[in-house]
Amino acid sequence: MQNLSFKVQRYDPDKDSSPHMQEFTVPFTKGMSVLDGLLYIKENLDNTLAFRSSCRMGICGSCGMLINRFPMLACHTPVEELETDKIEVKSLPNYPIIKDLVPQLDLLFEKHQSVKPYMIREDSENLERPEAGLYQSVEELDSFMQFSYCIKCGMCMAACPTVATDSLFLGPQPLAQGYRYCADSRDEADKERFDIVDTPHGIWLCHMAGACSEACPKGLDPAFAIQLFKRMMASQSLGIRKRPKAAPEIQPPKEIKPMIEVPEFTVQ
Amino acid sequence: MKETRLKILQYVSGIALFVIAGGHMLYSHFSNSDITSWSSIADRAASNWWLVFYVLLLIFGLYHGLHGLRTIILEYFSISDSSVKVLDYIFVIAGLAILGYGTYIPVEAL
Amino acid sequence: MQAIDSKNRHLPNRLGIKGWVWAGRYTWERYLYTLHRLTGLGLLLFITIHLCINGARIGGESTWADVMDIFETPAFKVGEYLVIAAFIFHAINGGRLILQHLAYTLGKPKAPVYPYVDAMRQKRRFMWAVLFVIVVLAIYSLVLFVI
Repeated sequence: MQNLSFKVQRYDPDKDSSPHMQEFTVPFTKGMSVLDGLLYIKENLDNTLAFRSSCRMGICGSCGMLINRFPMLACHTPVEELETDKIEVKSLPNYPIIKDLVPQLDLLFEKHQSVKPYMIREDSENLERPEAGLYQSVEELDSFMQFSYCIKCGMCMAACPTVATDSLFLGPQPLAQGYRYCADSRDEADKERFDIVDTPHGIWLCHMAGACSEACPKGLDPAFAIQLFKRMMASQSLGIRKRPKAAPEIQPPKEIKPMIEVPEFTVQ
Repeated sequence: MKETRLKILQYVSGIALFVIAGGHMLYSHFSNSDITSWSSIADRAASNWWLVFYVLLLIFGLYHGLHGLRTIILEYFSISDSSVKVLDYIFVIAGLAILGYGTYIPVEAL
Repeated sequence: MQAIDSKNRHLPNRLGIKGWVWAGRYTWERYLYTLHRLTGLGLLLFITIHLCINGARIGGESTWADVMDIFETPAFKVGEYLVIAAFIFHAINGGRLILQHLAYTLGKPKAPVYPYVDAMRQKRRFMWAVLFVIVVLAIYSLVLFVI
């Protein structure tokens, strides 16, 4: 591969009425990512190209784009992985476009906030000024840890077929994060979240197409989280749910016994 | 938890339909021939068990199908939460009307 | 940000109903979702027609015979088989959906290890088994139907 052909979606709200594609030729260097290609275009070919990027290592979630008809993080996608020299980059679908490749992510953040993605305990005073830690076993942690890796990139919402038609649907990211907090043994507000999520445009419009889990760059598996959430809600509705007790406070140990014998200090 | 209850009924009616509609399909298509002959129909029309079977089939089938249609309409038209009540009433009335029609026919022939 | 929002210049970019069908480079399960929806709608349409047709028997034997004559043409026979196939698919895939929507047969949450494979794809064999049963039953019923 010598040169790559980048077909990039352009949309200027001041001039265009609809997006159009513009083609650039970018020289190939080994190990380059799609983001490197876009930066080359911006630096050398057309400096009006607008896109978001920040960490360039797949952890901030800024550079989500539709690359060769699949939502991917541009920094996280080596060009060689696409196995072609024709690369088509478009803005993430289902989000309004601000300019070129920049989506407006308000719908992700507003819906995420609506699901109360924070720890809520009955004793809110204690939560603000804790006197001791909360106990959580390894099994309890494992039951939700996978779903806490969300970087809020929004690509799951771009992949979801229900989000494609329904602007009121909560979406895979808020639902998965809602489950992450309901499954957390330290949290006590699961019934509140059930009411938020059990609406005509809530969790039951998820039909498990699994596209969100495929698009997720962090292996979070939001589809799995949502199905586990459904099981929680169905068992609650039928009255057969065994709700575990909320994590108790645990005082730190007063005396710490060393696991190995500490030798006497020889130097004062 | 209204939506959850509706969805659980959807699952239950799905499983019930698996048996009842499955049985109906097997009997209609893969048993003895001439299922549409008038004498065969008259035999079934006279029997109470067949009436119960068909009415159950209709109830479960209507609930499952109309709930599915409601889901598709909610998704495609993004019905706001306040208008969902109206939609639900339309579905309930339509469902009861079709159920009434479907029950009247065999009962009248009985 | 406020000024842009109030002028509402952001271009809406929803996929719309194409997003139900366009499955780009996604997996089998996404196609199965679309097919489940199509077969469901098809069966619902069939039920309404079926009810109306069967209601014709209230008109007596001759009305019934006239109505039944319409259904002897080959096009309707094909349609009849399509209904059977749609029912088989919808029922068995529906069974799979009931199990997986309640997170059975999906295993337990565990830490993601690169390359990431989601729970549904890890249990891909279950989906293949379901598809196999559907195809076998569809072919079997086709054979019985034609004979």
